[in-house]
Amino acid sequence: MDEFYIGAALLLLLTMAGGLVRVAVGPSPADRMMAAQLLGSSGIGILLLLAAALGIPALFDVALIFALLAVINVAAFTRRRVDEGSGA
Amino acid sequence: METMLLLFDALLLLTTIPLALVTVTSPEPRRAVMLFIAFTLTLALIWARLAAPDVALAEAAVGAGLGGALMLAAARRAARVSAADTALYGGTPPTADRGTDDRQA
Amino acid sequence: MIDLTTLTPLINGLSVLLISAGAFFFLAGTVGLLRLPDLHSRLHALTKADNLGLGLVVLGVLPRVPDVLYGIKLLLLWIMVLVAGATGAHLIAKRALRGEGEPR
Repeated sequence: MDEFYIGAALLLLLTMAGGLVRVAVGPSPADRMMAAQLLGSSGIGILLLLAAALGIPALFDVALIFALLAVINVAAFTRRRVDEGSGA
Repeated sequence: METMLLLFDALLLLTTIPLALVTVTSPEPRRAVMLFIAFTLTLALIWARLAAPDVALAEAAVGAGLGGALMLAAARRAARVSAADTALYGGTPPTADRGTDDRQA
Repeated sequence: MIDLTTLTPLINGLSVLLISAGAFFFLAGTVGLLRLPDLHSRLHALTKADNLGLGLVVLGVLPRVPDVLYGIKLLLLWIMVLVAGATGAHLIAKRALRGEGEPR
């Protein structure tokens, strides 16, 4: 059963590596941001599977922090610039 | 189990090291910041794989969460300041296409 | 009180099924992210992977949690990802639609 969890984590890591290509080449910043969001989600999945396979429950908390920081990053990215137009 | 974990570690290294190189050599600030956020995620996975969940926790929270948000704001401000400099001291006007797609006019 | 050990193969099978489905959704989301032509269709592919894929993985890992508290924590994590994913995708799409001072 642990083998299966590690295998699934391996598959998710492969999709993460694919998403990295979109972060690197993505034509617009919005592309990069949403690819980074997908990376965060697959990172959460990997952490959950690792926590179950290796028997380290503290990794569930790390997954929780991953979810939190995805929110923070999207908020920082889509923040409207209030002082736009007033120069630097 | 062992071979699977070995494969996992190898793939993790094979993604993290090129990602670090691409991040460092990226010429454009916002692109570099987003790549850095992705890099921090894989780095936290490495800490988790090394059975150090507390370090992974700190890495994720400080590196990608706080650091990522602060550096996104800083990169945005830097792009705006350099565009204003160009407008002040000549060179190509900031609205012109300067080849980099993420530059803010 | 039924014997829980007789249920173990059933629970394991269910877990395998759910995690496989979740991994499939992640795979489909990444392929969509790489292959779809424009930003909004890529966003559409991405949200499927985020919400459904992660949800299925959470449900598949759920039988392996050490105690009930961690189970509740995992379910709350999924709900947070659902809410944050929907809101974030909406914000990114709106920002991209309005241009907001950057090339499209």
